[in-house]
Amino acid sequence: MITDDIVLRIEGLTKVYRSLFTPVGVKAVDNLDLSVRRGETYSVVGPNGSGKTTTLKIILGLIFPTAGSTTVFGRSINDLSVRERIGFLPEDAYLYEVFNGEELLDFYASLFGYPKQRRRDLVEELLTLVGMQANRKVPFRECSKGMRQRLALAQALVNDPELLILDEPTSGLDPAGRHQMTRLILELKRRGKTILLCSHFLAEVEEVCDRVGIMYQGRLIAEGSLRELAGEPTEIVITTTGLQPAAAEQLAARDAVLGVDDGVVRMGHEYGDDLWSVLEAIHRGGGHVVEVTRPRPTLQDVFVRAIRGEVPAAGEQTSEVAE
Amino acid sequence: MTPQLLSLIGLFIVVVVLTLTRKAWAPAVGHALPSIWRIAKITVAEARRRRVLQAVVVLVVLILVSMTFFSYLSPREQSRMLISGGLSAITVFGILLAIFVAAFLVPQELESRTVYAILSKPVRRFEFVLGKYVGALIVLAVVIAVMTVVLIGVLVLQDRLVTDLPDSSFDPNISGVIFASLMSYCAVAVLTALIVLISTVSSTTMTVISAFIIWAVGSLQPTIHDLAENAEVPATKLLLRVIYLVLPKLADFDFRNEVSNYLPVSYIGGLDAIGVGLLYVAATLVVASIFFSDRQV
Repeated sequence: MITDDIVLRIEGLTKVYRSLFTPVGVKAVDNLDLSVRRGETYSVVGPNGSGKTTTLKIILGLIFPTAGSTTVFGRSINDLSVRERIGFLPEDAYLYEVFNGEELLDFYASLFGYPKQRRRDLVEELLTLVGMQANRKVPFRECSKGMRQRLALAQALVNDPELLILDEPTSGLDPAGRHQMTRLILELKRRGKTILLCSHFLAEVEEVCDRVGIMYQGRLIAEGSLRELAGEPTEIVITTTGLQPAAAEQLAARDAVLGVDDGVVRMGHEYGDDLWSVLEAIHRGGGHVVEVTRPRPTLQDVFVRAIRGEVPAAGEQTSEVAE
Repeated sequence: MTPQLLSLIGLFIVVVVLTLTRKAWAPAVGHALPSIWRIAKITVAEARRRRVLQAVVVLVVLILVSMTFFSYLSPREQSRMLISGGLSAITVFGILLAIFVAAFLVPQELESRTVYAILSKPVRRFEFVLGKYVGALIVLAVVIAVMTVVLIGVLVLQDRLVTDLPDSSFDPNISGVIFASLMSYCAVAVLTALIVLISTVSSTTMTVISAFIIWAVGSLQPTIHDLAENAEVPATKLLLRVIYLVLPKLADFDFRNEVSNYLPVSYIGGLDAIGVGLLYVAATLVVASIFFSDRQV
């Protein structure tokens, strides 16, 4: 359940990378404001180089901001008690190659100071959760990409974290692996974890997230629930079979119809009152109606519109959270 | 006042200060020590699985055993040659291993990004650096101990083989060999700390190159001291003095000559070198921890 309790707060975060060759610097994150509520699954999406991973690394204290602040559970990440309550899945599963799943999980659990028996129970529980019991003795370097990613998720869960930070959890996985990982994330969400997720796979984000922040060139250019970002449907789509070409041409000439293509008739949403007359025209033209839908724009559509500046900027959205 | 007395007074002051301020540092140390130990254990476990380390140990053992084949030498010359060659093999391979183990400790974690999953957990950066260092020390201690045991075994075996010969004056000098190996280990510990420091600010390649330069210069410190004293150009004099002061005096840990030639060994000199080495290691690791704490990973 999502509450108003803010788990992660980022204010005015800016990160400029400077080097000998770029003394002016490259701005990776630009004045970013973002907050994640308890129990919420928040996803940061954006093209490569938009500053997503940099933001995650700053949250985790792996790199340091040029300006701005980040607090987790109201405290700095340098506070060890904060790190006891978070779990991190890095992109591309970087774990020690020479150890097997059982040894890796035992080691990461030991970093929290858990006694041996508790570690043993935890390892069993986590291997079961991520479906790795049968492959527990396989060295990490011999694991498939999917197995590596699942083990990496398991290491992020050794402390039963309240906040889970996932960087590209399905990166490099095949469709079956992506499906499996998405199921796992949904299970963690069901268990009440607060999740901050960075992903390129917009379909997966749509499936699991309550709110989405779109980052572009280091800035948060849009933020809100998918419903808020997508807005109302803009089209009515009628799928038909057997529609005669002459009838299709007549339909396409109507004001209400945006286009007819391969038996699919697209109407403007604002012409909803004309739906019956269009359906009658299809019937007269020898067509049979298979389906009438009012599709909402996908996250992919919203993403493209946001980059073009056609979606209201972050902060202009309402603060309602889809539950 | 002798340097030994000064060292004792210094040690006493440190103990008193630490005791009086224990309430301030005890909780932090209470968390740090187990954390350092966990990182050290995984470092040792990882090294154990790497075949390169085992291959080097086998190579050194073969070299030590093959030195027994020089049976045409007189027993005295044989023992001299075995001790000198054996200790040199231990020192050289110990330092080579130290360079390659230590140079990869931190940079490899950064390059393979395994550090992400560790530093996002309740582990402070200095705990990570110290854990890596302690892990490397354990690995190197085991390797040097194995090589020393093999050398002693070879010396004892050879001693038994030549006892029946007339004019047998073979002297395995076991206590001297153990002392010289221990001092080699101390040199390795000092060098490892410096390599860890360099590795917190540079890449693996740069660290390896720097380590070889430090090893060479550190072994030539008496010569550098003489060059500094005799230099006529002020800038050269200053540079040589800085090098002499900053880099570890690895030659102070080298007792191969005394032990293999049955010369009197200055154990006090050895203790002095260990005391200075400990301070050097402590200072180096503090700086390494500060550098790593500021590093963007």
